[in-house]
Amino acid sequence: MQLRLCGDKKMDRNQIVKWIRNPKKMGPKYSLWGIYFATGCGIIEIPPILTSRWDAERFGIKLAATPRQANLFLITGYVSLKTLGAIIRTYEQMPDPKYTVGFGSCPINGGMYWDSYNTIKKLDKYIPVDGWIAGCMPRPESIFIAVTHLWTMIDKGIADGYKKYKENYTRYRRNQEKVLGELDWPPLYSIGKKGGGNDE
Amino acid sequence: MNESLKKKIESDFKTSVEILEKNRWTTTVKKDQVLDVLRFLRNKGFDHLALISCVDWIKEGEFELIYILSSYLAGKERLHLILKTRISRKKPEFETIIPIFENAEPYEREIHELFGINFNGHPRLEHLLLDRDYEIPPFRKDFDTRKYVKETFESIKPVEEEK
Repeated sequence: MQLRLCGDKKMDRNQIVKWIRNPKKMGPKYSLWGIYFATGCGIIEIPPILTSRWDAERFGIKLAATPRQANLFLITGYVSLKTLGAIIRTYEQMPDPKYTVGFGSCPINGGMYWDSYNTIKKLDKYIPVDGWIAGCMPRPESIFIAVTHLWTMIDKGIADGYKKYKENYTRYRRNQEKVLGELDWPPLYSIGKKGGGNDE
Repeated sequence: MNESLKKKIESDFKTSVEILEKNRWTTTVKKDQVLDVLRFLRNKGFDHLALISCVDWIKEGEFELIYILSSYLAGKERLHLILKTRISRKKPEFETIIPIFENAEPYEREIHELFGINFNGHPRLEHLLLDRDYEIPPFRKDFDTRKYVKETFESIKPVEEEK
């Protein structure tokens, strides 16, 4: 059986070689368990994706019960100052490797809330984001296109937002504190002078 | 019954009740009359406070408080009454109406947070929705959102660019 995915890629027995060569990479690739952070109107697209009309489970996407079991973080909608704190906490709870996808135009640059007093405009200043789905609203199909892109990125090893977060943790934490004030949870990695996490 | 109620409001409080459409009235009273009017209307069967709203009239130097009441239990004869009053912008203070309508508590907190109006006698005037303090409350007309956005959010550098 050959299932066409995108372009000329085929999910068939050629994949077996990849599995044997790098099982660590292939494991999370087809098992994206999602946390859907329903901050705005984007959540309205999620129930049809999970249920039988589009059925995300054939792509290996499932809804995880807690952030500690998830590796796909989907932020669907605008991010206000209050939810940014919750987003950072959720992101820091997820185990590595983890992939973040911003859904809709609001987390990209603010969208229609570009001059609001209470929404942060660009999410990637505060946590690393591996990919964006543009549109207001994006169609459910675009999530699957994003997932196939994410597969390619995982194959090539460029979906490394969680590594960047560790490397630049001091800078990310400084940006978070600039906008949220003093954070009431301890830092995830140690904070160094150079700007990276774990450099003393 | 409705006609007599209208006449009673007009004669007792010396205002005029305007009929917007069927079963939807509006009236404007002075600020020291508001508590009396609300108490009177509550006894006359207006049992539901639907909303308290606020408008910033910056050129007149006034805030307009809007109380929307309805006689919910009256069934088909249900009436909506919009009660408006104006208070000074320089001294934004007003009496709380929690003793008359208990559900005014979150509405007054919201107006306090977004317009900076102090409600005397309110038990907990603190943040309802927002997380931080603003120099000028954000729903006032002299709050410059674009300047605020530039200073607060756009001044933060992206992490990748710093290397």
